[in-house]
Amino acid sequence: MTRPDSLLPRESLLWIFAAQFTVLLPHFTRLPLWIIFGWALAVLWRVEVYRGRREFPGRLVKLLAVSVALLGLVLSYRRWFALEPMVALLAVSFALKNLELLSRRDAFLSLLLAYFVAATLFVFEQTIPYALYGVLAAVVVTAALSAQLGGFSARPRRALGLSLRLLAQSAPLMLLLFMVIPRLGPLWAVPQNSGGASTGISDSMTPGDFTRLSKSDQPALRIAFDGPVPAPEQRYWRGLVYSHFDGRRWSQGFGVDPREGAPVSWRKTENPLPEVGPRYRYRVIQEPTRNQWLFAMARPHSETRGVGETRDDRLVRSVPVYSRFAYDVRSWPRSSLVQRPELGDFERRRNLQLPAEGNPRARAWAQNLAQEHQDGAAISAAVLEFFHRRFTYTLKPPALGQDSVDEFLFGSQQGFCEHFAGSYVFMMRAAGVPARVVAGYQGGEWVDQEEYLLVRQYDAHAWAEIWTPSRGWQRVDPTAAVSPERIRDGLQSAAAEEFMEDSLLPLHRFSLLNRLRLQWDMINYRWYQTVVSFDSDSQQNLLKRLLGEVSPLRLAAFLLIPAAIGLCLLLLWLWWGGRGQQLPRAQRLYLKFCRRMAGVGVPRRSGEAPRDYARRIATEAPRLAAMASAVTAAYERAAYADDPSAERQLGRLLRQWRLGAMLANVAPRRHQAQA
Amino acid sequence: MGTAEHPRGTSLRGLQARWRALTTRWLERRSPAARQVTLSHRKLFILPSRAGLGLLLVILLLWLLGTNYENNLVFAMAFLMASLFAVLPVHTFANLSGLNLRLLSAPPAFAGDFARVRIAAGRIGRRQREHIEICWPPEEGAQFDLVDTESREIDVALPVNRRGRIRAPRLRVQSRYPLGLFRCWSHVDLDIEILVYPAPRDLGPLPLGAAPGEGDSPERRRGGDDFAGLRPYQPGHSLRHVAWKHFAGGRDLHSKDYDSGADTRLWLDWDLLAGRDVETRLSGLCHWVLEAERAQIPYGLRLPGSNLSPSLGESHRQRALAALAEFPLQEV
Repeated sequence: MTRPDSLLPRESLLWIFAAQFTVLLPHFTRLPLWIIFGWALAVLWRVEVYRGRREFPGRLVKLLAVSVALLGLVLSYRRWFALEPMVALLAVSFALKNLELLSRRDAFLSLLLAYFVAATLFVFEQTIPYALYGVLAAVVVTAALSAQLGGFSARPRRALGLSLRLLAQSAPLMLLLFMVIPRLGPLWAVPQNSGGASTGISDSMTPGDFTRLSKSDQPALRIAFDGPVPAPEQRYWRGLVYSHFDGRRWSQGFGVDPREGAPVSWRKTENPLPEVGPRYRYRVIQEPTRNQWLFAMARPHSETRGVGETRDDRLVRSVPVYSRFAYDVRSWPRSSLVQRPELGDFERRRNLQLPAEGNPRARAWAQNLAQEHQDGAAISAAVLEFFHRRFTYTLKPPALGQDSVDEFLFGSQQGFCEHFAGSYVFMMRAAGVPARVVAGYQGGEWVDQEEYLLVRQYDAHAWAEIWTPSRGWQRVDPTAAVSPERIRDGLQSAAAEEFMEDSLLPLHRFSLLNRLRLQWDMINYRWYQTVVSFDSDSQQNLLKRLLGEVSPLRLAAFLLIPAAIGLCLLLLWLWWGGRGQQLPRAQRLYLKFCRRMAGVGVPRRSGEAPRDYARRIATEAPRLAAMASAVTAAYERAAYADDPSAERQLGRLLRQWRLGAMLANVAPRRHQAQA
Repeated sequence: MGTAEHPRGTSLRGLQARWRALTTRWLERRSPAARQVTLSHRKLFILPSRAGLGLLLVILLLWLLGTNYENNLVFAMAFLMASLFAVLPVHTFANLSGLNLRLLSAPPAFAGDFARVRIAAGRIGRRQREHIEICWPPEEGAQFDLVDTESREIDVALPVNRRGRIRAPRLRVQSRYPLGLFRCWSHVDLDIEILVYPAPRDLGPLPLGAAPGEGDSPERRRGGDDFAGLRPYQPGHSLRHVAWKHFAGGRDLHSKDYDSGADTRLWLDWDLLAGRDVETRLSGLCHWVLEAERAQIPYGLRLPGSNLSPSLGESHRQRALAALAEFPLQEV
């Protein structure tokens, strides 16, 4: 007799540890080392207890373990309101629970916790491999649960098989729920995944920033267009506007950075943009940057929740982008503007700002230009002409000293986009034309029949915008004056020799590999589009597509009809599995015969031999005697002599009899009708 | 079943008793007593276990996590768990549905001991059954699988405290297969009756040669020299005492009975234990029966209203113990 609540058997323990390991493994890189060691130590201790070499820890040891763990957490994490400490806490509770893994109840607690830990992985990572890993974790934890019953169920193959079967049976309902259950949006503010350094374009630009980015082929944006697609030289994805220059570094500056008090319009109703005219509609899927700014073409407007618009024509998000984020944008090209542009006093001063001293040669030349030419456009043209004649575009510019603009313009004359954009804006400001540096991405690579544009980190770019009273802010790309290929064909052709020569394998050179990489990226994109970014809008769209219109009635039908079908299938399965052993055909036919005989009033007695039964039928219902003896003879031959022809004969006899009975049934009724 | 302590039924215990009576009556109707029972939807109940409620909590937490992080993969996990929660009861139910239970034997037991009832469990159909527990509720009972075999015999123990012919309460058959998150159970009445002998109690050595206390009347014991009449012959009777003349006359074989002042045979007499209460007396007699059986001394049993002439052997022992077990309660 087994005690169900007795000490956990060996298989149970091993399964629990396996489940814990599976769900903790992907967190190992994120967790402090001491937690992993602590967990392993707890497992070891518990195994020793099982082997009888050690006792369960006493109260004092447990208290000590809890205090050490808490102290460790406090020391490891400064911020408590964050995701990592939460996961660390879960891992610690795993470890501590292992020290008192006594009963079935403890086992269940540990495994239910494991389900939760498995799901927390997705808060950090939502890519396909991690999703697959999550499925694996669910399978292992479910198998561990089933193994808790012990006996047959604890055998690995049986437990895993059962777990797979159960989860596979749950999958259809899961998909249905996934499609139908409404997404409410955050109920309260939650800590975000804030670990790791920010990637991509930063909030300031110092020489060398963009060359660093040019070495990375990590995806930054994926952009899918709905409708017209801008030409390659129009694909400028604005992310940041640098208005402040301190002599070396460009930054956003006070009053421009939303974090420093710049106004952001979050309300979707006040829409200053024209409802008509040419515009681009697109959806941007941005990789995590751990920053608030988003990327869009000039004059953007977004209906996506949590996205606001700044005064300098950019989109920002209310919280930093810690995981992939998708937003829908409409952009109006500047030419479609109807309003007369105005530049406020504050903005004018902001965009004419220069450090008090430094770069004297550049300033002097700019003032010359200002006197020679009458308006900003002409000055700009002169500077670009200067760039075009003398400068070379390179990823390896020489280092610059204190007066970086002077040295670049009149010394090295070799540079990268950041040098061109920075010195151009410096020149324009010095000449009295409001100007600013804009950073973002330029270009992108089409993936698979132009389904979407893949923008990588090496597409990072800096350009400029100047103010002209007649047309407002205007984009000017000084790099285009030096190296038009950069803008038209991207960095790879503009600096083919230097491009990514540091990487171990110049992957971009092998077209097959490159195609494979693009294919993989497309699968990722589809995954993100359909699953990860599935929100209430896409839910509405999907339901509309499936149901025609989303009414409560149709929704109920959508939920209930598959549920009813599922229930019927399950009942069928129950019946199938619960049904008796399949009898041989002859037996079944003979039983049918017995049932029919019972129907006419001569039931077979229990234990009555077929031959006796036939004899009794002959006396009690002489009308059926001939048929009964024929059936009995056929049955005996079929059942005991294995005669297949007798089996067929038995079937024929029964069919004939039924036909006869039907005719007999019909005939009296016809008589009655006539009477 | 119902206690008459609180006739108005206002107190909690009264209500409880009433409730129990109500559910018992309902169960009687729904699943009447039978020697053989096949579990079906009429007899099975299913609810999430405590761990199952824990899973519901996990689902809720996952849903909150998914909602707050707007994370579809967490949602998917929550929905997967929820679907699992919907699929599990079907498996748990299917594990018990179609299970066939048949009472094989319910041998007698001594009060204060366990009655071991033998039950045959079989399955209908090909589905394998795992982890079925069968018990009388507070007890642990037995656990069995029907994986490789079609049927199996199980011993279930029921603690019995009172002697007499006991009607066993409903058996609980339950299963938590496959994940322990749902519990499916049935209370079946296999119409089990157990004969419970009194608990043996040592009240002194066997009364060998002791006189049955019958007051002051002259003692009459068999086996003396004075002819006292005839009685049917039984194996063990001395051949010297067979009434051969009687037998020759065409009648059955009889022994001549003699009375004497000193009967050598052992009589376990109710009156030997005078002065104690009924149950103690029965327990003492029970002990003596077992002792005599062990010592292989033929013994007879004298109870008010029934007599068992001296003999030995398994069937005699059973008859003696049965007489003790079925001695009317609350007599004297």
